[in-house]
Amino acid sequence: MFLMKWMLPLAMLPCALAAQYTLYTCMVTSKGYVVGAKLPPSGIFRKAPAGPWQHAGYNHPFVSALDFDPRNPSVLYVAAGNGLIQATDKGEHWKILTGSDVTELMDVSVDPNAPADIYFSHTRGIRVSHDGGTTWSDASAGLHHKYTMALRVDRQHKGVLLAGNEEGIFRSEDGGRSWKLAGAAGYQALHLEQSPHDPCRWLASTQGGGLFVSSDCGVTFESNGSLAVGRNLSDIAFDPAAPNRLAVAGWGLGVMLSEDNGKTWQSRNTGLPTTNVWSVAFDPATPGRLYAGVHEEALYVSQNYGRSWTKDGLEGSRVFRMRFVPEVRK
Amino acid sequence: MMLRLTALLLLSLQLQAAAPPFPQRVQQVINAFAHPANPAPLSYSNIAAKLKLHEDPAECSRRLQELLAEGPTGDMFWMFPVTAIAYLDQGQLSEPARQAMRQSLKTYMPYRGDTENHWLLYYTCLYLMAQQWPDLTGDQWFTGKSSQENMREAAGWIESWVRLTTTRGQGEYDSPHYMGVYLLPMSYLAEWARDPAMKQRASMMLDYLIADYAAESLDGVYVGAHSRVYDNGAVEKWNNVSSDFAWLWFGQGYPLPSPSSFLLFYTLASAYEPPAILQQIATDRSRPYTHYERKRTRNRWRFYDDLHGPVYKTTYMRREYAVSSDQGGTLQPIQEHSWDVTWHVDDPRGVQNTLYSLHPYSSLQELQTYFTFPPDQGVAEVVSSKKSYDSPDKFVGGSAYEQIFQDQDSVIVLYDIPPGTRFPHINGFFSRDLAEVREDPSGWIFARGGDALIACRPLQPYAWRPIEGGGRRLFSPHLRNGMVVQVAARSEFKDMDAFRQAILALPLEFKLDPVPTVRFRSLRGRDLQCTYGRPPAINGAALDYSKWPLFGGPFLEAAVDSEELLLKHRTSRLKLDFRALTRK
Repeated sequence: MFLMKWMLPLAMLPCALAAQYTLYTCMVTSKGYVVGAKLPPSGIFRKAPAGPWQHAGYNHPFVSALDFDPRNPSVLYVAAGNGLIQATDKGEHWKILTGSDVTELMDVSVDPNAPADIYFSHTRGIRVSHDGGTTWSDASAGLHHKYTMALRVDRQHKGVLLAGNEEGIFRSEDGGRSWKLAGAAGYQALHLEQSPHDPCRWLASTQGGGLFVSSDCGVTFESNGSLAVGRNLSDIAFDPAAPNRLAVAGWGLGVMLSEDNGKTWQSRNTGLPTTNVWSVAFDPATPGRLYAGVHEEALYVSQNYGRSWTKDGLEGSRVFRMRFVPEVRK
Repeated sequence: MMLRLTALLLLSLQLQAAAPPFPQRVQQVINAFAHPANPAPLSYSNIAAKLKLHEDPAECSRRLQELLAEGPTGDMFWMFPVTAIAYLDQGQLSEPARQAMRQSLKTYMPYRGDTENHWLLYYTCLYLMAQQWPDLTGDQWFTGKSSQENMREAAGWIESWVRLTTTRGQGEYDSPHYMGVYLLPMSYLAEWARDPAMKQRASMMLDYLIADYAAESLDGVYVGAHSRVYDNGAVEKWNNVSSDFAWLWFGQGYPLPSPSSFLLFYTLASAYEPPAILQQIATDRSRPYTHYERKRTRNRWRFYDDLHGPVYKTTYMRREYAVSSDQGGTLQPIQEHSWDVTWHVDDPRGVQNTLYSLHPYSSLQELQTYFTFPPDQGVAEVVSSKKSYDSPDKFVGGSAYEQIFQDQDSVIVLYDIPPGTRFPHINGFFSRDLAEVREDPSGWIFARGGDALIACRPLQPYAWRPIEGGGRRLFSPHLRNGMVVQVAARSEFKDMDAFRQAILALPLEFKLDPVPTVRFRSLRGRDLQCTYGRPPAINGAALDYSKWPLFGGPFLEAAVDSEELLLKHRTSRLKLDFRALTRK
């Protein structure tokens, strides 16, 4: 109970700079890999503060995203090819929580206001468990087309969800029983993030349509201008240390950073070997530190918001998603 | 290298020599793997074959431990040999080897894959391994689930696959390569499942899958259309796993120089010998017939309302040749083969005994329909293993801009390619093995393949481009395009000129705007009409696809949603009823 009291707000507000975090990556080491060959170490790699990279759990070629149980952050929920995986002990021990009715999961989100409620998106929609993953039901009945790449639970309101599928961004206020189009109509939404500073501010990236923004708690989204229109934006990051600082990553775009809440953008690619970047993340414990997952090169780190970069391991990888998970204090 | 080639040649000669009886054919396959000609360390296949023959158990145990210690690789393609080894063990393996196998199911998580054949392999092996070790707890399995939970999940999916296949057709249908991957799990379950219902279901599915193949086999060569075929196998029709199985089951044709592992593991498990009626269906080409099949598309994750769409197949078969097609469109990604003419040759090895056309379609839209690829890497990821996918010269693949209509041995293929489409042309495969090719001033191209006379009328101007290794590619860079094809047996005409005269006498009208339209009186006296984007018509009556059977024709009969299949040959009948699990 004591743990929960302080862990919940910590999980909801990753700008608690004093906290310690472990960086988890969802990745595949694909450079030089061909189908049928032995898969180089892939799946989840984690790095504790000042520690080395450690491969956690099984070697798996398809790990898209992860979230954690706010009551016990050493319990992860992993959206994977073989299903929704509960990975305990910092990702070391895996259990597949789903069966043959879902495949190739794309996103996962735990409701911080109801931590037994786990949602994930997959090729045929969205599913939810209200008992920590023991049983599952469909949460996409109101969606016309089901393929859902992005999913987030609103951290302020239990059962309020945002989902990005092939027809745009949708919002549900009843745990996925019904959905309303919120914006980006006609675009495949690729990723969604909620600001850690303003829970009513959301960003969504799309395939071809650029960035979309909501300032009314995800009820409506509007285009954020011409950034990355015609390209594909695969990741979005809010800086927990500065409300107006954002970063996005994309193919052929690299890392773009905004200091004015998305009004203007600066390229932060000097020192990166290519501008094909899958993922970007601010280190919540170290202001200025920014990570970028560069396609089949490595994970790169910057100590100055992307003005210069150095290689930080995971060579030959595609890092699809990074997640800073608070350390469990004993 | 020379030694290996010689060994393969000797093996090939040994395997094809006058088709000994079925049990001997089985034995030949197993021997080929149990006693490999080369001195390389034993593979899983070699170990399994040796265990089947109860040979060298100590060496099998040692080598199995060594292989497992190296670390499993290959996901479900690792699971199937290991599962076979677990069942062929029968007390031969050492306890450490057995423990290493069991331990590997805890330390290695095979990826379940994204394709129907992957899942069938994965769940079949999971089912049988859970049956083998029924009391393991979740922490002893890579799934984190107990043996009983694994078995329930696997059985549920296998049963649902059988139900879907016997009601709406197979998704990865009629693949001359991947057919082996379906036969293998059914062979395993028919032999090793202890649940009588599962055993019976699998055994009946073997009849079902073999029947599906037998009706479209021309002397052991699997005739098109196919859900998936590789580049070589599309043009050299013999060069497919199907040839291995035709030889094993029916003693037909020629097996591949080195037998496929699918063939081996089929023989190591049930080694099921098809009943006489299947032999008759596969080999009786005394009368021409038209055979119909309904299949389904691969899972369409995006852009469609329904997970599967229907595939309507027509195959005309006679002793000298076969003509086969689906309705066109992207029914499967990457490796679809939508129509062809295949002619009989006595020895098809190395012969490109086929003719067809396609639009070389390549698009992210197609890949995102069927796969979960992220947008920027989809095409590159496919090309890393399917080299020709993004090639303008390719000879494999369906197109969203192709419509096909077949009646008996006449085919009308229409293309309406939107401006701006990548690769705005069509390719026609004209084999190096065609004879008497002549381009007639009328616009028809006449050719002979074996004893098949082929008339082909491109609807737009074209040029010839050479094909590496021989033959010519008909290249026609016109967006509204098409081809009319009529085939006949050599025996029906005095000579090629008589065939030409008969074809030129057939009324043919076509126009290309606003969409390609053809009206053609076929050699068989049928009035065929096809307009791109509309249902075709025969003798004025529009084709009603809603009445298309799951199987239809003289040999096989099944209604959509029936879960039944009736096999027929003359007065013989065999009915498979998957609801009652009876074979009568």
